[in-house]
Amino acid sequence: MADRYLEVVEPADNVATALRDVDAGETVTVAVGDEERTIEMIDDVGFGHKLAIEDIADGETITKYGKSIGNATEDIPAGTFVHVHNVESNYGRGDLAGDEEVEAISE
Amino acid sequence: MSEFLGYERDDGSIGIRNHTVIVSTAPYANDTVKRAADIVDDAIPITHPLGRCQTKPDVFQTYRTLLGYATHPNTYGAVVVAHAGEIVDGDELAQDVAETGRPSASINIHEEKGVMNALDATVDAAQEMVQDASAQRRVPADMSKLTFGINCATSDTTSGLCQHKATAGAVWRLIDDHGGRGCFAETPEFFGGEEELSERAVNDEVRQEILDRVDHWDKRLQATGYDVRGAQPTPDNMDGGLTTIEEKSLGALVKSGDGPIQDIIDYGAKIPDQSGMYIMDTPGHGAESVTGIGAGGAHFMVISTGQGHTLSNAVMPTLKITGNPHSAERVPEQTDVDVSEALVGDESIDWATDQLWDEIMDIVNGKVTLSEAMGESQFAIHRIGPST
Repeated sequence: MADRYLEVVEPADNVATALRDVDAGETVTVAVGDEERTIEMIDDVGFGHKLAIEDIADGETITKYGKSIGNATEDIPAGTFVHVHNVESNYGRGDLAGDEEVEAISE
Repeated sequence: MSEFLGYERDDGSIGIRNHTVIVSTAPYANDTVKRAADIVDDAIPITHPLGRCQTKPDVFQTYRTLLGYATHPNTYGAVVVAHAGEIVDGDELAQDVAETGRPSASINIHEEKGVMNALDATVDAAQEMVQDASAQRRVPADMSKLTFGINCATSDTTSGLCQHKATAGAVWRLIDDHGGRGCFAETPEFFGGEEELSERAVNDEVRQEILDRVDHWDKRLQATGYDVRGAQPTPDNMDGGLTTIEEKSLGALVKSGDGPIQDIIDYGAKIPDQSGMYIMDTPGHGAESVTGIGAGGAHFMVISTGQGHTLSNAVMPTLKITGNPHSAERVPEQTDVDVSEALVGDESIDWATDQLWDEIMDIVNGKVTLSEAMGESQFAIHRIGPST
């Protein structure tokens, strides 16, 4: 039976939110839509943090709420802790923009 | 229940509190304002570092925000304290307050020949207003008069899964069942969800305005030469499991539900009288966004928090809801409504909405929030550009 403390918001998501502490080595079962998926945990994942519920390749989109929340910066196998160390936002590349691309803003 | 008990104003608005506010127009009047508010029981000090050496758009935004508090539905009367001849003019502000039928007074430290005389005059004026306000009685008023402010704070991954859903349930109950208004804000926290949000606009003009405002924020941030990821998600967000600004945004937008958006309005501008949901264009900085929504005239504010927060506003009663069981333990004196049973227990989101709604109705009718009981409040006007 699926663990109700591992929440997958939309069936298209490739991450779950842990609403309990999960330990490396545990076998967990998550509900993904109407289906159940069994995952061997590679990492510890604390309350409120995310785990991969399928293998995600380097550069692939991380999906939560059925939408992109960024891209993987390395291969992330199912059961891995997913957070700032292996995900990058799609937004706000102001640090990489050349000066000519930066518009001066006045209201 | 379709009525609440509130305080009638001459301009047609109805308050859920009957505050006397003492408003500073410049940093150099702040100490006089704070000292007067320490002396006069129940008077609320409005102090800030602005009102001088600002360019026109900022002066206008500062003035509009201060006027919003001085003429808020929950404000009985206002004492305006100026230092000298500031660009936010104290006499003009007091005159604009008087035009709403509220008692007002204008004190100028230079004209009074010093802070001691100004303090004396401020205390006299505020004391009289507090006494007069205390003689006013609550009367039945239609629920359609109410405006519900919404903000999130110290979000984590529980926010979008639980407490934001309950908050959305309560605000849409006010709009759909009672003809009231809702207002949420924090434009940079639409990043990643702006397309779907804009599709909820009542017409193409509002839809485009939402997208333009998000784009404007993106450019404003990029113009600093830095990356939004340096500031968002915040360290406390990341501790709570939020990885990127997109994840934070998609969760944050849950608190606005999925109903139609009537308009997106300027920072501190008056929230329109027409029923429905509005957006105020503010930064994600909680003290600034909450200050803006208060200036817009929201009667009360629900802060939907992941990890607990002290954020509150003295004029607009501010109640906190969380669905994170650890947060309810971490800051119990800041947690008005704990709905964690809907996240990790057997209760439903509908139950959580009912818990929040019942608390809101008590607070609308006079029960004080935890932050009111604690005397806590932050006030921060958003600034557009640099000081000059």
